[in-house]
Amino acid sequence: MEIEQISAHEYEIFFGPAHPGSGNFSVKLKVDGEKIISARADPGYLHRGFEKLMEYRTPIQNAVLSDRICVLEPLAWNLIHAEAVEELLGIDTPERAKYIRVVMAELSRIQSHIIWYGVMSIGMGFDTGFKIAFGYRDYILDLFEMITGGRVYPAGYICPGGVRRDFPKGAKENILKVLDKIDEMIKLEEMENPAFLYRAKGIGVLALTDAQRLGATGPVLRASGMKTDIRKDDPYEVYDGFDFEVPVRKEGDVYARYYVGLEEIKQSIKIVKQALNELPDGDFIVEAFKKPKLNLKIPEGEVYVRNEIARGEAGIHMVSDGGAKPYRVKVRGPSFLHMIPVLEFLLKGAQIADVPAIYWSLNGCPADLDR
Amino acid sequence: MEDNLENENKLLGKIISKFNVDGRVQRKRRVWVNIDKENLVELCTFIKDEGITHLSAISVTDWIKEGEYEITYHLWSYENKILLTLKTRIDRENPVIQSVQSVWGESAQIHERELYELFGVKFEGNTELSPLFLEDWHGPPPFRKDFDWRAYVREKYYDKENEREKSYFEGG
Amino acid sequence: MQWRMVPELFKNLFSKPITIRFPHESIPIPDGYRGEHSYNVEKCISCGLCAKICPNMAIEMMEAPREYKEAYPKKYPKIDLGKCCFCALCQDICPKDALKLTKNFFLSTPDPAAVIKHPFHGEK
Repeated sequence: MEIEQISAHEYEIFFGPAHPGSGNFSVKLKVDGEKIISARADPGYLHRGFEKLMEYRTPIQNAVLSDRICVLEPLAWNLIHAEAVEELLGIDTPERAKYIRVVMAELSRIQSHIIWYGVMSIGMGFDTGFKIAFGYRDYILDLFEMITGGRVYPAGYICPGGVRRDFPKGAKENILKVLDKIDEMIKLEEMENPAFLYRAKGIGVLALTDAQRLGATGPVLRASGMKTDIRKDDPYEVYDGFDFEVPVRKEGDVYARYYVGLEEIKQSIKIVKQALNELPDGDFIVEAFKKPKLNLKIPEGEVYVRNEIARGEAGIHMVSDGGAKPYRVKVRGPSFLHMIPVLEFLLKGAQIADVPAIYWSLNGCPADLDR
Repeated sequence: MEDNLENENKLLGKIISKFNVDGRVQRKRRVWVNIDKENLVELCTFIKDEGITHLSAISVTDWIKEGEYEITYHLWSYENKILLTLKTRIDRENPVIQSVQSVWGESAQIHERELYELFGVKFEGNTELSPLFLEDWHGPPPFRKDFDWRAYVREKYYDKENEREKSYFEGG
Repeated sequence: MQWRMVPELFKNLFSKPITIRFPHESIPIPDGYRGEHSYNVEKCISCGLCAKICPNMAIEMMEAPREYKEAYPKKYPKIDLGKCCFCALCQDICPKDALKLTKNFFLSTPDPAAVIKHPFHGEK
């Protein structure tokens, strides 16, 4: 690829896919001195064609495949795929399975927000924040290894019908110990440091009308002033029985998004403690699904499910024509809207030194952008 | 426990009385409506004034036996908390439809750009329909049901028989 | 000057390092970890369900080699560890518990032939 030279002052640089500061995603910047004139997103480095891969596999095999849609929060994608299949089949899961699913989804959200805090810190030069974050994340990964059998990929732990295994002995005490450690981590974070505030306040401001027009959802929209959360507006599983708040800020800059992310960790800890208190006894999966089914026929119909994952709003539209494999699966990821329209809009007029701060504060996952 | 479906029925009634369409209420907070492609932009402007301001996704389903593409629009209202889905059908061999970028802005433009590349649907009025994910792609749109991916992979990427990959080219 | 550094300094001066000297010591691995497969040919009934449910087609049913053929006339699973994603669906679906996943995860090898697990390799 050639680099164009338009005039003596303007040139083009790649904030590219092999850069340690950008993940698997590249942005082409047209720059004049230190100021950016225009930015163009270039996705597609991780395109694996999930929507077509899922048409060749049965629902239980798709449950194993669905945790590879995004590596930073596999349990959340497991959950939304299982909900879509169950709504098509018309079955209801047992109460104990619903509470276990909520505990696992909230632990996955805490773990994803800890990564967000770590990479935002290192993007702005605060290396110690990155090491603190990834050190405390390891306690949660040890919990996942004890419950599901694998540290990062739980291999379809939340499957259509319930969950694949029950909590082992001693899981509840271990989870409460880990939550105390996460409280300790929140006390160590450094937000009121003047060097950090200078790099975060007033940078990358996204007004509310722009956010709605460009399609932002989740923490990015909450940091711009709109109080909305799918767990309260369109509830699924047993979220309508829990008591938690939705943090909102008005400014819409990098500092506001950072603040919303840390407050959400505190609210998630509250939800996990309530769910563990109320955990009922009983079955962990529908009786007929205890052994995986090979030729389960899905009745005809279509359904659209929405969930609130750590990055924003996730959606799955599933169409079935009566066979054993779904006819069409459409996966809607939140990063698709955040990293292409919102990023190109925010980078216009910014300085080169602000690019990592804006880029990482939008919390984009290249894997659920490309699918 | 009976669900209170009053809001959903009111919204469906308003749409049916103004345009000649049919629809149903699937469950609480879900309303599905089938429309013709001619009234698409007019209907979208009408419902945007009713408070439905968020476009969640646009998707295309390839019904190869009937020879049609079905396009679905999923829209959410923050005030009334209802998800409205619009479905419309177009011809499969020459798929052309009007774009809704004038109503919903850039969030519609990026969804339509992806669908143009993967299914071949032309959206009239979209400001930019350039390739998004695939680079140097010379085949047909890859998510259609009549695209034989095994033959394409075999022709372009394999130059000798591989014992361990044989099972992938035989089964379904 | 930051005086709150001083208590941290004293605490770290008198505590022992947390490095774990692998491979002489290792951390405990919990039960239920999904590692390498262990196959018991006496319990297998050759139903072929493990080959049908594998999402990556990593299990293939093959016939026994010549010296075992009269004692074991049917087909038995051959597992390709390079394609396997260690999801444990084959362990869940086996009706006689012949296929189980152990805690061994030291599977890297420079020899490509060692990646495929044959059912009769060094068993009888």
